[in-house]
Amino acid sequence: MIQHFPILAIMVLFLGAFLTVLCGKNKVLRNIVVFAAMLASSVFIAFLIKPIMIDGEVITYWLGNWSPVADYAIGICLVVDQLNLFFAILVSVAVLLAGVFSFKYMSRDDTLEKYFTLFLMLSGGVMGLVLSGDLFNMFIMVEILTFAAVALTAFRNRSEGALEAAFKYLVIGVIGSSCILIGTTILYSQFHTLNLAQLSVLLHNNLQPATILAFTLLLTGFAVKAFVVPFHPVEADANAAAPSSVSVIISCVLTKAGIYGIIRIVYFLFRSMNLAPLQFILVLIGTLSMFIGVTMALAQKDFKRLLAFHSISQVGYVMTAIGLATALGVTGGLYHAINHTLFKGLLFLCAGAVFYATGTTNLDKLGGLAKRMPQTAALFLIGAFSISGLPPFNGFVSKWLIYQATYEKAVEFGNIGYAFVTIIALVVSVMTLASFIKVSQSVFFGQLPDEFKEVRETPVPMRIPMWIMAALCVGAGLLPQYMMRYLINPAVYAVMNVGNYIGSVMGPGYAEKIAGQTVEAYSSEFALAGYWSPISWLALFAIIICAFFIVSLSGGKLSKKIHSDSPSGLDPKYDTFFSGEANEHSQVGGSDLFWGFKHNLRHYFDFMHNAHSGVISDYALWAFCFLSFMIVYLFIIV
Amino acid sequence: MSTSEVNGLIIVNYIGSVFLIAIGFYTMMAKKNIMKIVIGMGIVDYGINLLIVSVGFNPGGTAPIFTINELDPGTFFVDPVPQALTLTSIVIGACVTALALSLVIKIKQEYGTLDAGQIRRLRG
Repeated sequence: MIQHFPILAIMVLFLGAFLTVLCGKNKVLRNIVVFAAMLASSVFIAFLIKPIMIDGEVITYWLGNWSPVADYAIGICLVVDQLNLFFAILVSVAVLLAGVFSFKYMSRDDTLEKYFTLFLMLSGGVMGLVLSGDLFNMFIMVEILTFAAVALTAFRNRSEGALEAAFKYLVIGVIGSSCILIGTTILYSQFHTLNLAQLSVLLHNNLQPATILAFTLLLTGFAVKAFVVPFHPVEADANAAAPSSVSVIISCVLTKAGIYGIIRIVYFLFRSMNLAPLQFILVLIGTLSMFIGVTMALAQKDFKRLLAFHSISQVGYVMTAIGLATALGVTGGLYHAINHTLFKGLLFLCAGAVFYATGTTNLDKLGGLAKRMPQTAALFLIGAFSISGLPPFNGFVSKWLIYQATYEKAVEFGNIGYAFVTIIALVVSVMTLASFIKVSQSVFFGQLPDEFKEVRETPVPMRIPMWIMAALCVGAGLLPQYMMRYLINPAVYAVMNVGNYIGSVMGPGYAEKIAGQTVEAYSSEFALAGYWSPISWLALFAIIICAFFIVSLSGGKLSKKIHSDSPSGLDPKYDTFFSGEANEHSQVGGSDLFWGFKHNLRHYFDFMHNAHSGVISDYALWAFCFLSFMIVYLFIIV
Repeated sequence: MSTSEVNGLIIVNYIGSVFLIAIGFYTMMAKKNIMKIVIGMGIVDYGINLLIVSVGFNPGGTAPIFTINELDPGTFFVDPVPQALTLTSIVIGACVTALALSLVIKIKQEYGTLDAGQIRRLRG
């Protein structure tokens, strides 16, 4: 009975998608169908938790009962090991809460049956991706979810930039999907199978030029889906233009689907994480995403676009931690993945609530909403504290694990570069906090503009999913030992030890028979630095204070270049003000809280602003440069 | 033609498919007209389809259509799996093109241009 649950969890979502169209104009029936589909899928996933996470089983389901004949897997299979289930839980939580939120949030739009059809297809696509045990099926699911996400991005096609964002997302998405498909084809031509478990055995210690090329293409393809650095502008555009409930899915679920793909490729399919240069390049990509994401976020004027850039930054943390290839690093990465889903989901829902109440997400126009929307403000603060990594909330736990993991990596390998990663991670965390101070100041505090005097708190059906997310954020922060025991540790064990997966799919002893060797078991043991150990805290504060000093000292030196008579047509707010009345009234807008900091680093910010030119050809060029670089790099190191 | 000659000729398919993929990728990054970008996406797709179907080719193999009685260990046929993959990929490619073209129509109505250099309200 239980082995049918994975396919049912996918099928009910697709079934719901097509039944939604049949409901026609009957709103109540349609909402019931959508809710039932999402709930049923979550319940099926929840039933899998006990056998897989606690008892340690791996469930394999062969569609049409096409099980392997003579050690050759021809049929399509779904495999649920602890890692798959970890991501499936993450997907079903985010989909359920975002779906419930959208019942009320989207109620002012028309053609909602199409919205919910696409929404459920998107959910089904992601669910299919994370449960599939077959490379080509992963490609199909990637395509389904890209289509649905593109169409949903353009759903409010009257809103500013929605069509443009959707088109850019489609072009970059097609580059990613093409890479995945070419990689799959090359692997098929070498090994005549598409099954992940069989490929993993055949590929072990078998890196020829063809498989290295396939590896690069697959890695690039899933990196596009995770929106790490050279592919990030499309995510920012898409998240800013899409309805908030869809932004939750794009930012929290689709990026995680890409991360899942990367983990499957590097840890499972090619088992190549023992290569130090590969670890280096993944950590480098992650660190760049972290830094570029947060600095771009500091310069944003739109609430949702700012959140989108933070999402890139947080996915950078996950990528960095995954790239470390230590048990502690993977633990931190997966923990941060689930935390990012919770707090970023909450923040996007808050942005949706603000948009629902006021009709804008422009930070310069908003202000003082805490008086009118106290609950949304409180929820936003919980999300903001979580993402900035303040102690009692969940972001702190996972960021702490990542700091510790990068630092231990530096100590273990005697490589000072990884210690720099720790420092960058800390600085990025500080800048995240700064950026959220800006948002809370310009949206929820400060002066309430006259046109928002009559704004009302969002309706209860929208607040319920937000409160649930907030409760999960606090829960994941206060009870890390339970999260570890039931979710993270089994998943980390599955990442580090691939033997169970292969044994479950191809029958026990397959790897030994074909490759003539056992699959080595890696240790997933690690010592955790105490959360409340005073010495560690002292070190943390010392580093943070150093970071502040570096920022403020560099600011102090550079600021001497500004003169009161600065000609150059700069905004008068950059001038030194002595006394008397200014001729021109200079107003610091809500989005401009850190204008001094931004002014001092204006060369960097101007460069980044110009680089994100909004021209799709440029973004495509970045993508191909990344692909070419990865091909050259991987051929050199292997 | 002998088997080895056919076997040698299949390299033409691989060269052709890589060539198509390269042209498509070049079009996507070098052309500013979004219509041409969509065409580039289509060309990449055709290149990949050619690549997949060439992978399944066995020189001298027959079409993979048999009843269960005709199958014996000596039957030699081309690999049917890549053909199934190609069909799926063609369908997906058609969907991509349709979705992209519908977006292009809407963008043309909204922006009044097809120049990617002017379709950049979201930037920075």
